[in-house]
Amino acid sequence: MINLTDDAKKNLDNYLQQVRICLKDCQTVDTDEVEQNIKEHIESELQGSPKPISFDSLNDILKKLGSPQQWLPEEEIAWWRKVILRLRTGPEDWRLAYISFGLLFLSVIFFICGTVTVSLLLVLTSFCLSRAALSAGTIRDDLGAQKCLIYPSLIIVYLTICGFPLLWPVFLLGANKAPWNRWDETVYWMIAYMFKGVAVGLYYFILVSIYKIGAKFFHIIFRPFAEKINQKYINWLLVIILILTILCLIAGIFMFEDQNREWYIYLSEKLR
Amino acid sequence: MNDRFLDNWATQLRKGMLELGVLNAIEGTNLYGYDIVRKLRDIKGLVISEGTIYPILSRLKREGFVRTTIKESTEGPARKYYELTSKGEKILSQMNDYWTDIKTGTDILKGGKKL
Repeated sequence: MINLTDDAKKNLDNYLQQVRICLKDCQTVDTDEVEQNIKEHIESELQGSPKPISFDSLNDILKKLGSPQQWLPEEEIAWWRKVILRLRTGPEDWRLAYISFGLLFLSVIFFICGTVTVSLLLVLTSFCLSRAALSAGTIRDDLGAQKCLIYPSLIIVYLTICGFPLLWPVFLLGANKAPWNRWDETVYWMIAYMFKGVAVGLYYFILVSIYKIGAKFFHIIFRPFAEKINQKYINWLLVIILILTILCLIAGIFMFEDQNREWYIYLSEKLR
Repeated sequence: MNDRFLDNWATQLRKGMLELGVLNAIEGTNLYGYDIVRKLRDIKGLVISEGTIYPILSRLKREGFVRTTIKESTEGPARKYYELTSKGEKILSQMNDYWTDIKTGTDILKGGKKL
């Protein structure tokens, strides 16, 4: 081996030690061969240089060789190290995605432990980071594996926002106690459901129409899911809702007319 | 944003080109690792860290494209010399043809002509 100063020798030993640590569990690379390559390279590079070789001269060579980690083949890097590397050096959208998922995971832990407020704050922060990751990753059309990290917090928040407006009519369709106990119960319920169906149908028709008119606005709010909804299906949905609403109205009117006679009799008796 | 895009693209391009560069550098001759590094580092933009050449040489050896021989050196300890195997020559020929096709097509596109 070439003649090195004490500082240079320590520097080289430190570098080789780090390389050995990186290659410790490597299956495909011979550590001794790598070490031999490094020493051979340094000797060849510094062949004509004045001896002993100084720390700075050796350091220049080691910098050109690259970090000790780069001697490990990419396919051999442990998954956890890849995560850390991504967080330290990776593209911003991936870092944000990892942090977002990490916060969501923490929020679940806090929720299980009963700290609901902290859990809620973590979910909201995770949501914000997911949106930021979406924006940072807009160079590519397909998010690929990032979806698994970003989507969970987005889905949770979007479902919370949309859940009530979309689902409350389902409860409206639930059973209520009939005020007129003279009526045939089955027929009453059917009439009530028909008119409730009309009300719910009109509600959803208005809701979907609002979405259709303000599609761009909703695309921004509910990225990236709203962007994937084809407008053609929205039109078909409106038509189906309208048809069902009209059918409910017609059925309700017919059934109500049929029960009309009995209703007049009941009212007359009540008013006497 | 543009710098990052360019860096990412250049990194991906270098990954493929380095292997072609190493094989072309060794073709028809017998070189040791440092000689190969010296040949390639003169190509602008191809070699960012010189240490990346050695893992490529190891991988090419594992694939059977290069073989190594140890030769005594008058200038120091014994050195490991690399040369192409017949399998390596065949794959190099295919890679060079592929690269020529891509380069030709890209040059045509750059010139605004149709393929």
